[in-house]
Amino acid sequence: MGEREREGGGKVLTLIEKATNSISPEVDPRLLNAIKSLVRYSHHSETQLAFDSLMHQMEKDHSQVRYLALLIIDELFMRSKLFRSMLVVKFDQFLSLSVGFRRSLPLPAPVAIATRLRLKAIEFLEKWTTSFGIHYRQIRLGFEYLKNTLCFQFPNLQQNTARIQQERREREMRSKEILLNKFESLRGNISSIKDEIQTTIDEIGECLDILRPKDDLIPLDPEDDVEEYRCSALQQIRLESLKEGEKLHEDSDNKVVFDTLRELYKLLASRHLVSVQEWISVLVRVEPADIRFRDSTLKEFIDLRNHLQSISKKCEESGCMLTNTSNHEDEDIWEEVKIEAVDDSPPNIPREDHSTTSIAHEKKNRTSVNTTKSNGSKKLDGEGEWSGFTSVKRSLMAEAPVMPWGSFLDDWGAKRDVLANQRGLELEGHWGRVDYDAVIPAEKIAELKYQASVYKEDPVELRPCLAPLKVGGLCQRRDRRVCPFHGPVIPRDSEGNPIDQPQLNDVKILDLEKEVVEKLTKQAVKNVRERERDEAKRKNDKNTSKRAKLAKVREHNESVLRDAAIASTSYSETLGAATESAPFLKEKKQTLASMLRKKETPKDRIAKRVLNRRTARQCLMGEDTKYREAYPNQW
Amino acid sequence: MWKQVGEREVGKLKPHSFANRIKSNRISSLQLSNHKEIVSAHRGAVNSLQVDLTDGRYLLAGASDGSAAVYDIQCAARYEGGGLVAKHESIFVVDKQHEQGHKYAVSSAVWYPIDTGLFVTGSFDHYVNVWDTNTTQVVMNFKMPGKVYRTAMSSVAKSHMLIATGTEDVQVRLCDIASGAFTHTLSGHRGKMMVSGSTSNSIPGSQSSFPKARMLHKKAAYGNGTKHTSTTHKNKGSTSQRLHPGMLSSHDRATAHYGAVIGLKVCEDSMYLLSAGSDSRLRLWDIESGCNTLVNFEATRLQTSKGIQLAVTQGSSLVFVPCMSAVKAFDVWSGRTFLTFRGHYENVNCCWFSSQDQELYTGSNDRQILVWSPSRSVHAEVDERGGEALMSTSDQDNWSD
Repeated sequence: MGEREREGGGKVLTLIEKATNSISPEVDPRLLNAIKSLVRYSHHSETQLAFDSLMHQMEKDHSQVRYLALLIIDELFMRSKLFRSMLVVKFDQFLSLSVGFRRSLPLPAPVAIATRLRLKAIEFLEKWTTSFGIHYRQIRLGFEYLKNTLCFQFPNLQQNTARIQQERREREMRSKEILLNKFESLRGNISSIKDEIQTTIDEIGECLDILRPKDDLIPLDPEDDVEEYRCSALQQIRLESLKEGEKLHEDSDNKVVFDTLRELYKLLASRHLVSVQEWISVLVRVEPADIRFRDSTLKEFIDLRNHLQSISKKCEESGCMLTNTSNHEDEDIWEEVKIEAVDDSPPNIPREDHSTTSIAHEKKNRTSVNTTKSNGSKKLDGEGEWSGFTSVKRSLMAEAPVMPWGSFLDDWGAKRDVLANQRGLELEGHWGRVDYDAVIPAEKIAELKYQASVYKEDPVELRPCLAPLKVGGLCQRRDRRVCPFHGPVIPRDSEGNPIDQPQLNDVKILDLEKEVVEKLTKQAVKNVRERERDEAKRKNDKNTSKRAKLAKVREHNESVLRDAAIASTSYSETLGAATESAPFLKEKKQTLASMLRKKETPKDRIAKRVLNRRTARQCLMGEDTKYREAYPNQW
Repeated sequence: MWKQVGEREVGKLKPHSFANRIKSNRISSLQLSNHKEIVSAHRGAVNSLQVDLTDGRYLLAGASDGSAAVYDIQCAARYEGGGLVAKHESIFVVDKQHEQGHKYAVSSAVWYPIDTGLFVTGSFDHYVNVWDTNTTQVVMNFKMPGKVYRTAMSSVAKSHMLIATGTEDVQVRLCDIASGAFTHTLSGHRGKMMVSGSTSNSIPGSQSSFPKARMLHKKAAYGNGTKHTSTTHKNKGSTSQRLHPGMLSSHDRATAHYGAVIGLKVCEDSMYLLSAGSDSRLRLWDIESGCNTLVNFEATRLQTSKGIQLAVTQGSSLVFVPCMSAVKAFDVWSGRTFLTFRGHYENVNCCWFSSQDQELYTGSNDRQILVWSPSRSVHAEVDERGGEALMSTSDQDNWSD
């Protein structure tokens, strides 16, 4: 029995050790379940063992271990009373290890995980306080101490949910009140509302009566014409046309009636129907004391709504809607016309434009080829646009430059002299004789109007780096080729994983480098062999010993250099195991120890650069000279 | 327990020893009480605790925020968690808002030993105030030359109303409440008086205030280089010369502690004196001879910056010593650690053992006053509350998988 227990205890120990020795942010659920089941079906001693071992893990000098142990502790704490009673005895110790509130005992390294550990511990403490605090003074004490004395921020989960519920309740109460108020007001003036609607309905009815075709003499009798129109489709068309003809159409006589009807209809559709609908929804939602009144009114309103709907349908049938639609059509046509005009005009105007520009280009091409060439940074392409032109023109167009608009286009290509003093102003005359025939020669003009253009870079879309960041999210830095933090900018998927193509590249590069390395080693081996051979030769031939010696030294030097070269590349370690794949090389397996290692940050690199001796000396010198300049008399 | 009751019934067991057995049983099961909770009204470290000697009902506490409060430890103000937790709130608080309150930390608060109508507080603002409990007004105050570290009153003296005060000054002063004057000034210490021990005893048959005065000699001297106490009862006083610290142990038998004496407690029978020093040592002295009894108390760590208040059980079997953030109970005669009470989050300054209820009260820098009581199992038999049902439902194993 005892042995079995010890065995079980040992199992718990190993399980806990295994579960806490991991770099993942969660405890392995299988291990956790195993621990839970072991503790559940175990005796006091085993729970004690589990507790002791967990506390031992909590004392480890690594936040990750503590974090995982904390997660396991929470699981057991929420379940086992025995475990709770064990933990509360050492609760202050547990808190100082998990929250790290004592200055003498701060949480251990990885800082990020230490913060997570603290947050989690505080969250758990709050949870435990709400669920078990009443039974354990120690938990209450710890909670009060952290909250009131050390002023830790607790997530306040319970209070938050309570507050949200309270808010929702209040909102509901308010809306109910508003509904009730509405209901009361409805009860007050229901008769007036109904009266108003009734009058509208009556008026509409009258209007419809007026408009109803008076001549009922010719009844619509499809039977008569059955023989004539066998085809059902034709028959249908005929019937419709008959009906259409039967309808009273708007003309100058009954225009007034139609107008009135239209207005009434509008009133009905936009106001009464909507208001009735609203009242119905209010009545459905409200919960008054007087339910009978509510029900009866609701019924009335629903009837009213149906009635209104039928009337509005009738109105539409009667043709007032027809005129409306025709109106709409008018508007539509007008708009369409406008659009057409807009659509029509472009072909004309551009054509003119094109022709003018093309003419200009032609002229220019004919006259000043030089300028064209000097300016011709951009050529127009897109043959489709110029399909309307002759082939000559098209070719000219193809090589014509795109210029910004300016006054120089006025006499583009004009190769004539310009009179200097013929501007129409007599300003020059005030100071003496003026030569009105003074001429600026054409070459000079061309020189003056020489168009210098600045090189403009083609706009390049800079893609974000999108490498996954440790804090979550993707790197949004935009660089052309290489992100200083994440290496070459390569296409990545939404997760930030590189899409395979660049990986291939990497592999290629790696292969290349490996090839170089292999070549080097081969060379080295060859060198060594040669050396040996040389030695053998030297034994045979002592005459050439001197030369051989020299050669040996040289070769030795070379091999040493080569070795150094090989050693300096990072791939030298894996020379033996060349079959190992490249990605493994790059990604070293992360362990708990590696989490503790400090990563070299950009700040460190900068510090290394800035704080080295040379820059410091430069700075000093700079200061020195400055000082000498400022106080030349003092040194 | 039933066996003992049976023995008592047939007269095998004497009433006194029966009670003692039950009490010691209860004491051995002391733990942090979940059903009794004192709602601390203080916003600073609790420096002094005392339950009144007449009723054993009112706990007087003095704290560093200049406040003193009285708690009813018998009747709870309210219950929480369905009667599971009794909250004892303060009956009244005198703090800085009170026009006669202390300006600085209250270092000591003691009851008038005869009844609960008066209590005395000593503070760092150099004053010793005597308060009327019922009106919470100061009826008398004494201005001291320096910070007051400890005040004490004799619990058995019938003929006087003297308050002994240990201050920053080298002298102990006895203040007479009746006349409002200092009756005695007792010198003998060098350095400031960090602690004045509890003096609530007297030797039967000795003259008026003098035994008490002599008791007060057993004060800590706190100061320069070597620290010393006169442990001699018969007016040897603190006569130790300055010596090289390394020589002290061999030459100077009179040196009690290599460091300041931070706590003193006289056993109930006035035969022995316990002292705690900042050298983290606890010593037991025979008062009659003034000799060290050489009881080796287990090594512990005591705080050095502040005085501590020790507590002794009725039969002088256990002494409760605040050891940093824990309180330890030592067996007085063997020096072994009997129990350790962990619950405070900062250093514990004071403790008080109520022999009537066998409860321990501790006050700490974390502003809490904790109650340590015999475990509930004995208690639950006495008063069954509705909370038990609640307890059984919500604090059970809850295995979902």
